[in-house]
Amino acid sequence: MIEQYTIATTPKYNFPQPTIDTTLPQRLIEQSISSLRYAQEQHFQLNQQGFQQTCSMDLHAETFQLRMQPIRLRQINEETPIAACDTSTIKIGETSTGILIAVRGANVSKKHRSYKYNRFGPFIFHITEENKKELYEALERAYFVSASRQGHQYAVNLLQNPTRIASLLERWLQTTMSKIVNEGIILFDGSLTAGTIDTPVDRLKRILVNARECKNIVFAFSKMTNLRIGGRLITDLALQQKAPYLLETTGLKPKPPIVLLGDVYVARLSHENFAFRLDIDKENAHERIIEALGKLMGNDVLSQGYPETLRLAHILCTFTANEVIAMQHFVARSCGLHIINRPDMHRLLFGPFGRGESCS
Amino acid sequence: MKLYKKEGNILQVLSFPNETVEKGDYLHVEDSEARKALIAQVIDVQFASVPGVLEELLRSLPDGGELVQGEDFDPLEIAPHITYIQDASLLVCKIRATIENENLNPTSSWLPSRSQSTIKKLPIPQLLKLAKTEGTLPIIIGGTKDSSLLTIDASHLDGRLNIITGKKETGKSHLSKLLMLNLVGYKATVVVFDLNGEYICLGMTGDGRRNTHHDKIHVLTPGQNFKTELKQVNLHVLLGILIHALHLPGTSAREFRRIWQSLKERDKLTLHELGEAIRLWNCNQHVKDALSSRYHALINSGFFTDNASEATALEDSLLKAKENGGALVINLRNTSAIDRQVVVEYLLGRLVEQLTSGKLKATFLFAEEAHLYLRETYWDDIVTRMRHFGIFTTFITNQPDTVKENIYRQADNIFLFNFTNEHDLEVVSRAARVDAETVKSIARDLPPHHCLVLGKVVKDFPMVVKVKAMDVKTMGETRLFFKNTN
Repeated sequence: MIEQYTIATTPKYNFPQPTIDTTLPQRLIEQSISSLRYAQEQHFQLNQQGFQQTCSMDLHAETFQLRMQPIRLRQINEETPIAACDTSTIKIGETSTGILIAVRGANVSKKHRSYKYNRFGPFIFHITEENKKELYEALERAYFVSASRQGHQYAVNLLQNPTRIASLLERWLQTTMSKIVNEGIILFDGSLTAGTIDTPVDRLKRILVNARECKNIVFAFSKMTNLRIGGRLITDLALQQKAPYLLETTGLKPKPPIVLLGDVYVARLSHENFAFRLDIDKENAHERIIEALGKLMGNDVLSQGYPETLRLAHILCTFTANEVIAMQHFVARSCGLHIINRPDMHRLLFGPFGRGESCS
Repeated sequence: MKLYKKEGNILQVLSFPNETVEKGDYLHVEDSEARKALIAQVIDVQFASVPGVLEELLRSLPDGGELVQGEDFDPLEIAPHITYIQDASLLVCKIRATIENENLNPTSSWLPSRSQSTIKKLPIPQLLKLAKTEGTLPIIIGGTKDSSLLTIDASHLDGRLNIITGKKETGKSHLSKLLMLNLVGYKATVVVFDLNGEYICLGMTGDGRRNTHHDKIHVLTPGQNFKTELKQVNLHVLLGILIHALHLPGTSAREFRRIWQSLKERDKLTLHELGEAIRLWNCNQHVKDALSSRYHALINSGFFTDNASEATALEDSLLKAKENGGALVINLRNTSAIDRQVVVEYLLGRLVEQLTSGKLKATFLFAEEAHLYLRETYWDDIVTRMRHFGIFTTFITNQPDTVKENIYRQADNIFLFNFTNEHDLEVVSRAARVDAETVKSIARDLPPHHCLVLGKVVKDFPMVVKVKAMDVKTMGETRLFFKNTN
């Protein structure tokens, strides 16, 4: 269970209002409804399966180092807005021609000691081999003028599409936040890696530029990292010092087309034994970074060294089993889907030794 | 509604928020392919165990116990579906019968199809029709939850042992009056041991006028209009009084028997002669003292008289009741504990005499808080021996543990009002005609004046009924100190 604190709510909030930049949700709704038309009267196999966003990058490991000299951090209690966003996607079933998925995003802000959220979704999509290209293109065109031009990207597996749609929603949320929050701290889930199939360099750059223009600073927290030095995870190497502190990495050079738009640090922000990879926009001066981290510590709860605002964003967009059942109920009702219970082949063939499809 | 689980005779049914089902309702679970249906009664309503609900609740309260403020942009309107799933309930039901070829069978040995069965609420009138509870002597008990009337047949009280129980001020006496007046209406003879003088005005309407029952209600107050001569009393009845009510030792009882026989042979069975005989009787002084003290207890009760004209009320009332039906209300309100026992011993003895001699057909006995005047050995006597003579008892109590366990086991009908105390429910749940889960689950939630009817009157289909009002003068109200203050 997440440790919570008594924080009074605030009546005023400066986060995206429905009048601002609603283009993407509008397109999401349109595409959602349009895609569900393809699902009418089909057979529907229930299942729940989350899509794990994986971010592995090739890098030149020989130059990668972690400076063990800690950069000490000091809490600064000056009132500063904190904002965070996250998205989530889940497969809610299969039809004979494709998959049904749900996507949801949330942004959370903390100001004057209280949290406020805006949650978008769930948007339900029926993705098939036929519509996956059209669906993604339509969504991308709707907001990001710099749509990806690589034609090869549509060769991606059907099962990769949900994370791509979720990623699109996440970038839209980040863009909106970077424009609206002023003189604040914006927290992203993940890294500031660009040049991937989901995140063109221009798109992430634009978000960071927007943030800087509004005098914000972006921190991207990774819950998991694959970065290792001498075979050990960088987050495991950083637990000997007295918290809070930051450890700087050097020599991290990803192989093209991957680009790092942030400097990579290891941050241990509380006394608990948890350290996180932290990507910070390269264009910020060292002093500003230290000051901003101090303000983060002074304005947000950092239980287990992880910002509560970002944790709430994650919690609010995550789908519970109850919601998955409700969405299955919704699609069965609204699209007249016939629910079928296809046997789990693992269970069928291997009995108690079958682990189930979702675990395979 | 969807069939979820069956374990023994317990059925679990999934119900959705738009289906309003409450405790006590009956469900009709029909498997059309098997051409059979189960009749099950809802005994508990729980939240369905929907996965993810805990996370959902935790998520809605993360801000130190207060709701996190925010807006949801939910274009597909999934939220109502979430609520719909979250509020799904699980109905725990007890299988009461199976319907096959329109016949009811008290079995639950078959399994209806989980996917094909249709489940709907079974209205009480339809159930009563299926159970064939109707008869030629209807008694309307009150209204059920679906606004229909619950009617039982008076013949199902005939020859039966009944219990009316519930905590204070739930309406027990009201129901007993309703049953009693209906029986009287069907020309039955009813005897009531009225501990608090609650039944003495049953012949009057609420505003003090005479009602249709007025001439059939005979109020007998011991020591006033209810007295007896010694010669009307059978020796074994009087010995019963002396031994059980006045605790006369065995040796003294033997001497009393000799005195009694001596007086009877000389036809001098009067109070005066009895006193003289005890005084002059040649026996041990301790025995004489014991007899003398009991004699004076009998005198002081005011219940015995040598005046023949004062001792006719019981016979007269029984005669009237035999012809047109009637209720003999034995008003024990201002009677001491010992005198109460004397009166009750006498009356029960006389009733048995009348019934064995064929002077009376049968009698319905209503006994309020019987533990206050019924001796220990009489309980079994009443439910076994006296039933064969034709005394059919209804016990009314708010202390269920004062009624012996074997009485519950043998009870044919139980009218159960609200109990919240676990111990009380535990005692009542020992009744043979119903399962403990039903009693404990339904009785705990009964509102005042609502009663769970169990037993033969409802053909073993427990039913909740709101007891109907009557236009009779109630005398059972508690006298309050602050009554006029507010």
